[in-house]
Amino acid sequence: MTADLRRDFADRDDLSVYLREQFPGATARGEDISPIRGGRRSALTALARIDPVRYAATRNDLNGAVTRLSPYIRHGVLSLAEVRDAALARAIEPGQAYKLVQELAWRDYWRRLYAEIGAGVWRDREPLKTGKRTDRYAPDLPPEIERGETGLACMDAFARELRETGYLHNHARMWVAAWVVHWRGVRWQAGARWFLRHLLDGDPASNNLSWQWVASTFSSKPYLFNRENLARYTGNRYCRECPLRDACPFDAPYEELQARLFPGVPSPDHRPAARKDRRR
Amino acid sequence: MTIRRPIVWVHGDDLSPENAAIAANPVAPAIFVFDDRAIERYKVTLKRIAFIYECLLELPVVIRRGDPAVEVLAFAREHDADAILTTPSPAPGFRQIVRTLERNLPVDILSGMPFVPDLHYDLGRFSRYWRTAERHAMSAADE
Repeated sequence: MTADLRRDFADRDDLSVYLREQFPGATARGEDISPIRGGRRSALTALARIDPVRYAATRNDLNGAVTRLSPYIRHGVLSLAEVRDAALARAIEPGQAYKLVQELAWRDYWRRLYAEIGAGVWRDREPLKTGKRTDRYAPDLPPEIERGETGLACMDAFARELRETGYLHNHARMWVAAWVVHWRGVRWQAGARWFLRHLLDGDPASNNLSWQWVASTFSSKPYLFNRENLARYTGNRYCRECPLRDACPFDAPYEELQARLFPGVPSPDHRPAARKDRRR
Repeated sequence: MTIRRPIVWVHGDDLSPENAAIAANPVAPAIFVFDDRAIERYKVTLKRIAFIYECLLELPVVIRRGDPAVEVLAFAREHDADAILTTPSPAPGFRQIVRTLERNLPVDILSGMPFVPDLHYDLGRFSRYWRTAERHAMSAADE
């Protein structure tokens, strides 16, 4: 039997010092404490701020009205049912909450699938649709990606944000995943493990199955983005300062990227309207 | 069998003070265990531990670390418990722990309010799940 861990702390710094002593292994891997606070009180404060109408209109934008509830939902601090009820209560008619409720449903879906397939979330659900075999992908994540030292302003900023806060906007997660798997040719599992080390909402259900969705082992085609798409939803904030802005690997029409990254694979329709601008 | 002296095992999927197992027996001693092996296996960073810890500080639980099954059973013995109450989790590791606990004490897994009722859902793709789930998902639970 081990001794009880402490419960009395003067403040957050006091807690941080204690946790660094108690968990030296985890501290060595990353000693940052997220600005996002744990606990039901913080969760309810975040829940009180949700805006289903603005969420539906702006959620793909990095500055959009996303809820940031995922860490609380992942750890059951808030239940999907109570978040749904709050969203419906805030809407004048239920249709206004549709997008937000559907995102909650994704979480329910991933959890149900996880309950069914268990450790299977670590294995390809289906063959890749990229024209390449799994063994053509690197098993490990290049260290400069994790350190955020690739020179790509967007990806390096996302890596840093992930490390420092344990949170990334969903659209950024998709861009990072697509870049790691399709441009850098790394197995999705390596990227999924990286995210799980850091994300406060990280769990193998939502995380791995979303990586598989991007990779195309759990979707009908690989997810792609291009510079125009990233620039639009980030207000061009990374591209402006990017040392590689004149050598951007994402700067091409979808058809060209498709042909370059997946040679020999027939091009799906990449027009934003047909792609519903985002995942799945 | 009547449960007279249960303990509550709180795990990382259900860190709400309204956790169904705590709600079912608010005076029962409750425990959370940081799984040292899982922390190393997934190479978890400190911020994830800190987030969970802050959640725990708002719950009436004793916090320990080690092997969850071993620690929960030790805690049950300390309190002379005749059952363990907990809440569900889809994780394969959870099922393993429950199997170990059940070799020693009855385990009662209590669910909170579901997002959609437990019907048969085709999980092949989200669109198929959503076809069945949408109607339920779009209605408030308290209606």
